[in-house]
Amino acid sequence: MEELIKELKTKVIDVLNLEGMTPEDIDDNAPIFGDQGLGLDSIDVLELLILLEKNYGIRLTSPMEGKEVFQSFAVIARYVAEHRTK
Amino acid sequence: MRVCKTITIPGNTSLTGLYAEKVGNYPKFFKMDTLSKLGFLATELLLEGEADRFISREDRAVLLFSRSGSVCDDSHFAKSMEDYPSPSLFVYTLPNIVAGEIAIRNNYRGETSAFVLEQYDKERIRHVVEEAFQDRTTRSAIVGWVDVRSDTDWTCEVSLIEK
Repeated sequence: MEELIKELKTKVIDVLNLEGMTPEDIDDNAPIFGDQGLGLDSIDVLELLILLEKNYGIRLTSPMEGKEVFQSFAVIARYVAEHRTK
Repeated sequence: MRVCKTITIPGNTSLTGLYAEKVGNYPKFFKMDTLSKLGFLATELLLEGEADRFISREDRAVLLFSRSGSVCDDSHFAKSMEDYPSPSLFVYTLPNIVAGEIAIRNNYRGETSAFVLEQYDKERIRHVVEEAFQDRTTRSAIVGWVDVRSDTDWTCEVSLIEK
């Protein structure tokens, strides 16, 4: 699971241009959105949805599902491990 | 009208390097397209040291002009459509986004406009600026020719003009 979390962080840093940030800078359990999080916006959410579909074959269809999945990198990794098709 | 200060950013300048040297506290910069990065950086240099910076104001307009509009980002977005259309590229496929980025950064609530001209036209630009100063609110304007032909080839000259 640790490896998947690191892989996800690396991909997110790359796709969202989080310049100067490394996977080690992000707490596995820290919230992704909000003031305590990475400061991501609604466009970033769309990029995250594409990232999951493109890399892991996961298509999130409802906003509620996205809200549950994008809580933290630990939660995303668990979801990816359970639902990935590639 | 009085031109207070003008900033030029030559083509091929490392925008990331310039950002790191002169700004460094606005992560959204990295998400911008080249047009917005240029407008943002030129304005940062232009307003460096200005008193009461970032206090919300309505009396300053942002009036930008170009020939190429957002064609550079348009082509990046078109290329992304071969795979997955990128939302973060899509949001910059309008030439006026750069004016909005400058207004957001500086808390401006006055006029923001972006004009696409067939070519650089000093008289026409002057006319637009004069028009902007006709209202009862606008007392100064950030006025620039920011024309991005590619990610390394551009003309960027931005001035602060007072009524």
